[in-house]
Parts: sequence; structure tokens; C-alpha cells
Amino acid sequence: MSPAGDDLAFAGTARQAALIREKRVSPVELVTTYLERIDRFDGRLRAFITICRASALAEAARAEADAAKGAWHGALHGIPFAVKDQVDTAGVLTTSGSALLRANVPRTDSTVVERLKAAGAILLGKLNLTEFALGGTIRFPYGQPRNPWNPEHDPGGSSSGSGIAAAAGLCSMTLGEDTGGSVRSPASYCGAVGLRPTWGRVSRHGCFPAAWSMDQIGPLTRTVEDAALVLGIIAGHDTRDPLTSRSAVPDYGAGLEGGVKGLRIGVVTELVDGADTHAEVRSAVREAARGLAGLGASAEDISLPHIHFAGAVFMALCDSEAAGRHKPWLATRPEEYDAGTRRRLVTAGLIPAVAVHRAARARALIREQVLAALGKFDLLLAPTSPHPAPAIASHTAPVTSKEDAAARFFGRRSYTTPASLTGVPAVSVPCGFTAAGLPIGLQLIGRPFAESTVLSAAHAWEQSAGLSTRRPALAAAGAAL
Amino acid sequence: MADLAPEDVRRLAASLSLPLTGDDVTEIAHRLNAFLDALAALDALPLEQVEPWQTRPEGSA
Repeated sequence: MSPAGDDLAFAGTARQAALIREKRVSPVELVTTYLERIDRFDGRLRAFITICRASALAEAARAEADAAKGAWHGALHGIPFAVKDQVDTAGVLTTSGSALLRANVPRTDSTVVERLKAAGAILLGKLNLTEFALGGTIRFPYGQPRNPWNPEHDPGGSSSGSGIAAAAGLCSMTLGEDTGGSVRSPASYCGAVGLRPTWGRVSRHGCFPAAWSMDQIGPLTRTVEDAALVLGIIAGHDTRDPLTSRSAVPDYGAGLEGGVKGLRIGVVTELVDGADTHAEVRSAVREAARGLAGLGASAEDISLPHIHFAGAVFMALCDSEAAGRHKPWLATRPEEYDAGTRRRLVTAGLIPAVAVHRAARARALIREQVLAALGKFDLLLAPTSPHPAPAIASHTAPVTSKEDAAARFFGRRSYTTPASLTGVPAVSVPCGFTAAGLPIGLQLIGRPFAESTVLSAAHAWEQSAGLSTRRPALAAAGAAL
Repeated sequence: MADLAPEDVRRLAASLSLPLTGDDVTEIAHRLNAFLDALAALDALPLEQVEPWQTRPEGSA
């Protein structure tokens, strides 16, 4: 029997694509399933900024008619997808989460959207994010995004809506953009799979930039298999992004069952056992390391002492670049920024150039240390975030001291930014839940262009842990909570 | 180095034509002092042994 309703919504992209191909599910049925779930739940979760209802239904009808004639568009024929609103979509509002771009309608698709559409996927909508993908938004101009496991908690950012939609079954698959952890953090907080590919593996053409040397688009999905499927479609050289690699794109799905036997995994002690790491996170991640060892890998502790500096180094480099990019708007339209974004950008504009240069050199040291570790190990293992999703209220309170600022902005970023600063691939995959029912994310970091290794290890863990079948208990919009 | 006071931040921002509102200045001072401390701490690293890296990762064609 074919899955229907909520079971169909959570079936996963690869399975849905197979069901469509076998004509057991129609694209119209799939799109309608998600539109109904968005109507029921997104009034509260606020994953979407724009819903492409009419065009998605029309595209689904066309996909259905073409399927009946045997005219298949590609591997994602009839699959509804949604993208972070930082990514251009032809004829569809693209705000980057900012009031400044409330009327911005691109004329052309970004490369990643173009490639998904060419594979037969159907654009369902555009997803909420922290303003300009920078993090720290206090008042979201398009609604406060909420964690599907507990709506009083943060869904993570900056690809907030991408994490929510993937985890809450509001879309088959989503794309986010990860500069310093913006795909992996929402995946961790929301209980989804989030992959940051190697820098240069996926085109950024048509994506509003945050930091040119670290920005990278990646999938957020319900399963590792789905992340592999999507990556295979969006990866590859693009003449419109000269920083994309010309190296061949492997069949990521084919290597997925490779397992972890013989893989050497380095457990990063500063991130697993550090004082900032929540006890339940530490326990779940250590358990995952033991689990991977039980599947045939070797897991051994490794110390990366420079990694403590990664958060501050990342922010100095990323924010100073963003401050330069935003200077014209900051000068003329400052009141249109969210206060959190404006304070972040103005602060970065005041950092002395010599300090930024020091950060650039420190980046090189961190990168050397991470790559040296990846010379010894096939993968590095760490928590994606030091803690489970915090309460939304903890983000919106004013910064009260420099110590408060350092704790809020630098500490947690030291968990995801080592991969960003180094340019290597990293995935976040669920590895447990806290006693309060919030997801915990396991991060696996690989060598440059070794996405296949990262994905096969994450898949082995996912299959072993059996967590991908858990679903958040959602309250319909307007229902008592 | 002594922390920058909100008035210092106000003068710096004015000299760089960066906008400040009354609500922003105190928080920006906290944020900027956090940055200056964190980046000063990098002096403990052997920074002169490396050049700033701004190129592709290994393996990229």
C-alpha cells in the first residue's frame, strides 16, 4: 500500500521519487499533501516567507500529465522543494529575510534552483531565515520561525525555515546556505540532516552573499540518502560561479552503503568534552562515537587546541566582509535593518584592520590543524552545537556585557566554523534527544571533496540509530499549545 | 587595553559614517570590546609562521 497523508509527507525524497516513478503517488497528491500541512502548521512555525501555491499545483499537474505519457523530467520528477529566501527564484519574491528587499523579485533562477527544476522538482516556496543570513535577528520581518519540537525554542539559523520545513514535513527537501554553520545548526536543532559541501562543490550563483570565501549552499533533508540525492543534482562546475570546482561529481547515492568499516574517526575532545558542551549533548555524541566503532570504524580522541579561536576568527572575517557589503544601505537605510543585524554590522565596521588581518592568519593556523587531523583520520566527529535548541527569548534579550557578547556570539560558533574556515564538507545528522525532547546533532567533518565518505558514515549511523522515523508532534496554527 | 566606552564608539562610528542610534551604542560597545579581546588573544598563536589563506581547498581543480 502506498503511504498517504502524513506518512507520505515524511516518506523522504528518494522514496517519494520512486513512488511517483511507479505511479503509486501523483505529483499533485504530493504537492497537495504539503500545501495542506503548511496550512495546518506553518501559521505557528513560520518556515515559509512565500508559498508558490498556484504555480506549484500547475507544475504538479504538468508533471502528472507528462508522467502519464512517459515523459520523465529527471530524478526529482514531481518532487516539491523549497529554498532559503537568500537564493534567487525567477519571478518569485526573494527577500534574504530583510525588509530592505521586501519587493525584490529576481528575473532569473539561481544555478541550484535551475538544476533542481531541470531534474523535475517543483518549487513549493521560499523559506525564512535570519536577516541576510547573518544570525542574531531579534525581530523577524516575515514572522518568528519556531522549532517544530518545541515552538518556544529556536529552530537554529540562519537557514531556519529550511530546517523547520525538512523536520516538520512541510516539504520534501530544502536548500539552505552555510557560511559558518547555517545549514548544520538548524539541522541539529530541528532534527534534520544538513550537509555543508566542500567550498566550491556547489555554485553560489544567484545567492545573496555573506562571506565569499566560506559561503556554500547545501541540502536539508529528512534522511542522509535524500541529502546525497540532492547533492548529486546541485553539485558541479558553473561558469557563473568561477570559484566552483571542475572536478567530477561522483554518484553519492552509489557509495552510500559503503559503511564505516576501516574508517578512522577522530573525536575532537575540545568540542565533545569542552566546558561549553551540554552534558546530554556530550553523552549522545560519545554514544554515537561508540556506535560507529561498533559498526567497524576506529574512534580515537584528538585534540585541536586552536579550535577554541574559530568562532571569533570566523566572525571577524565574515562580519567585516558583510559590513563592507552593507555599508551603502547602512548609511542610507539603517532603520530598515533589524536591530540585531544593524548592531552586528556596525560593530564589524569598527574592528581595526590589523585585528582582521590577525584573524586571517589565525584562520590559516586553524585550517592547517584541521587538515593535519584529516590527514590522520578519515573523519572528525564532534557535536554540531554545544547545546540543544535554546529558548527564543534567550536570543532576543539585550547584550549586557562584553563577556555576554563573547559567550553568545563566539562560543557556539567554534563548533561549526572549523569546517567553514577550512572549506571542507561536514554533515549534521540526528544522534539523540534530550530528556526535554529536543534533538541533538552529530557532526561529521571530512576531507576536501570527500562528501561520499561523510555521507556513507552518516548513513551508517542513521540506519543504526533509527532516529529518522521520529516526528515532531505539531500543533495546528491557532490550536491551544 | 582598556575597554572602549559608548562615547568612544560614538566618535569612531561618526568618523566612519556608520549609523548609531541611542539604543545601539551601548550594545555595540559590548560587542566591539568582546571582539578586541578575542582578537588580541590570537597573539598567543604563532601567527607569523603562516600567511593569510584565501584560496581554494586542496583537491579543487
